[in-house]
Amino acid sequence: MRKRMTKRMLAAAMLGVILVLSAACGGSDGKSGGSSAGPQKVVFWHAMGGANTKVVDQMVSDFNASQDKVKVEAIFQGTYDDLLSKLKASMGSKDGPSLVQMYEIGSRFMIDSKTVTPMQTFIDADKYDLSQLEPNITGYYTLNGKLYSMPFNTSNPILYYNKDLFKAAGLDPAKPPKTFEEFQQAADAITKSGKATGANFAIYGWFMEQFFANQGAEYVNNGNGRTSPATESIVNSEAGVKTLTWWKDMVAAKSMNNLGRKTDDSKKAFLAGQVGMILDSTAALRGLVTDAQGKFEVGTGFLPRPSDGKEGGVIVGGASLWMMNDKSEAEQKAAWEFIKFLTSPKEQAYWHINTGYFPITKKAYDEQSVKDNLQKFPQFQTAVDQLHQTKPNTATQGAVMGVFPEARQIVEGAIEETLNGKKSPKEALDAAAKEITAKIQTYNKTVK
Amino acid sequence: MAVTELSSLKRSKRKEIALAYFFLAPALAVFALFLFYPMLKSVYLSMTLTDPRGRVAEFVWFDNYKDLFLSEAFFHSLKITLYFVLLTVPTTILWSLLLAALTHNKLRGMKVFQFIFSLPIIISVGTGSIIWLLLFHPTAGMLNYFLSKIGVSAIPWLTDPSWALLSVSLMTVWMNMGFVYIVLLSGLQGIPDDIYESAKIDGAGPVRSFLQIVLPLLTPTLFFVLIVSIIGAFQAFGQINILTKGGPMNATNVVVFTIYQDAFINFRFGIGSAEALILFAIILALTVLQFAVLERKVHYQ
Repeated sequence: MRKRMTKRMLAAAMLGVILVLSAACGGSDGKSGGSSAGPQKVVFWHAMGGANTKVVDQMVSDFNASQDKVKVEAIFQGTYDDLLSKLKASMGSKDGPSLVQMYEIGSRFMIDSKTVTPMQTFIDADKYDLSQLEPNITGYYTLNGKLYSMPFNTSNPILYYNKDLFKAAGLDPAKPPKTFEEFQQAADAITKSGKATGANFAIYGWFMEQFFANQGAEYVNNGNGRTSPATESIVNSEAGVKTLTWWKDMVAAKSMNNLGRKTDDSKKAFLAGQVGMILDSTAALRGLVTDAQGKFEVGTGFLPRPSDGKEGGVIVGGASLWMMNDKSEAEQKAAWEFIKFLTSPKEQAYWHINTGYFPITKKAYDEQSVKDNLQKFPQFQTAVDQLHQTKPNTATQGAVMGVFPEARQIVEGAIEETLNGKKSPKEALDAAAKEITAKIQTYNKTVK
Repeated sequence: MAVTELSSLKRSKRKEIALAYFFLAPALAVFALFLFYPMLKSVYLSMTLTDPRGRVAEFVWFDNYKDLFLSEAFFHSLKITLYFVLLTVPTTILWSLLLAALTHNKLRGMKVFQFIFSLPIIISVGTGSIIWLLLFHPTAGMLNYFLSKIGVSAIPWLTDPSWALLSVSLMTVWMNMGFVYIVLLSGLQGIPDDIYESAKIDGAGPVRSFLQIVLPLLTPTLFFVLIVSIIGAFQAFGQINILTKGGPMNATNVVVFTIYQDAFINFRFGIGSAEALILFAIILALTVLQFAVLERKVHYQ
């Protein structure tokens, strides 16, 4: 009898320990009632690492200081992928955020998860004037005429080139290559000059997606997954094969090299003067121009397209802010106040100057600080022009599919297979399309 | 008389068993919570499809297993895992054995070498991987820098599919060396000195006494190291996640990384659990096989 008792006590004690542990793991529980006195708390999860964390924190503390009804707590959650995993794990529990930043390719998942309140609800209720935002940017996050999330940080890829290497190779440093053919010639010339390798592209699925849009080509069926959910990948279409053949030929001819998947490694090689041209996000501009100072002059150009390619443009990459619907109305409203603050021209100007992401509000360009910044980094004008010259259509609005993060990995695998000569561009992309289609179909089976 | 004695004997035995369970209870509770329950749960999960949030959406019986056995990618990752085991386990053991044999003597300064060779054990997988990531870096890496000094052109350590697995294995050998070295060295030190001396008196040279006397006496240690290393190699994950993320071209996509990708990146716990259970079966079978075949060759005295 006594033994039984002790055993039970032991079990109780262990349960107690487990409870304490799990409570400790739960961390700060966001109050979702929030009708009590004091400011309404809003938990904001984001993935802005490095120097950008400080910029986010600054904007949050500015917001908190600007009024006393809402208090935002920003929590950095690691990379976009980490953030998505943590968000998935938090769904259905009380430990999730009120507001979350999500990369563009997580959009379909966010909608399908049925855990978000569309931004349009607040826009309509508040009669918020959407026309003050860049239409090319809101286009990405608009589905069936509804803006699902508020764009936050957006960027697109541009061509960076080393003007000194251009001169040494007998090329005009004021004229960056515009077409695939010109690009190839320039890369050949730089390699032949013996000073450096012509170019490098990190094996990054995002670039492939951008090359598609830039040729006006869609990435998945059903209007890029925008008229109805996508059921098939068309990454093996002509635009894809053409791009990959061009890329592979340059690597085979040694006018380009292969440094793997990390854009960071591509940037390092560029800054070390080892390659003449790279692709990277506009958000990298500030760092590249600053770090190249005293070594060489950085030029910027549009993303190249085949000379016979259709007109297109770039997709706005980056991330947007999503409202989680499991929080009280008061909390969601409070988060909406924060969103309005973030999209104001002044905050967008501050955000743009300090991070290199685009201002999403048109008026931000009128701010003196933005004008000064453009004067200091004239290269940034290329990015702004490229965005403004993009024609909005389903190709440039970007593809939407639930398995986008995986699709990106698969395409990166296909690029690797091609560059390493294991498969021809067509074979590799056919296999990738087949694999992505299978994943899309499994996904569609599980959401309904 | 006899009956009461028997029943009291029974009672005391029952008491003893209860006492045993009492002492086992904490361990059993922890095992149940962190091993048996998750294990059973993954058996269940392996027969389901999960939605993008990782919630069970459909019960599909053995479809996940069927898909896996028909999937080229899964067999590819099994093959990569096998290569990885073959590349790392024998190399680590032979290399550590060599170092242990060389440093097992009473020369001055040997302690310094023993310290250096066992150093990798205190470095975590994460830290070790970051160090090697810097060494392997395609443009700023130290390894390529030294190669260029001796006129060898840069090696695409992690970016070329034919090199990546070798590079990861190289790093793994270094990382596991510390533990294996310490175990083998202590095994060597456990062999009594008089055996060496009598062998020497009988006229055996150092090589012969090592092969015919030391090695057989070291077999229990070697057997332990082998089993632990094989299990460890099958479960390698950290260095692959940091160095290559399974790439390029899936050249380093070992099974555990596939499981991680399916379950925790893509939230397909169904297929992830099925893969984990297959891996479990493979490791179990191999361990049983090793005990059945190799243990007969082990000299415990």
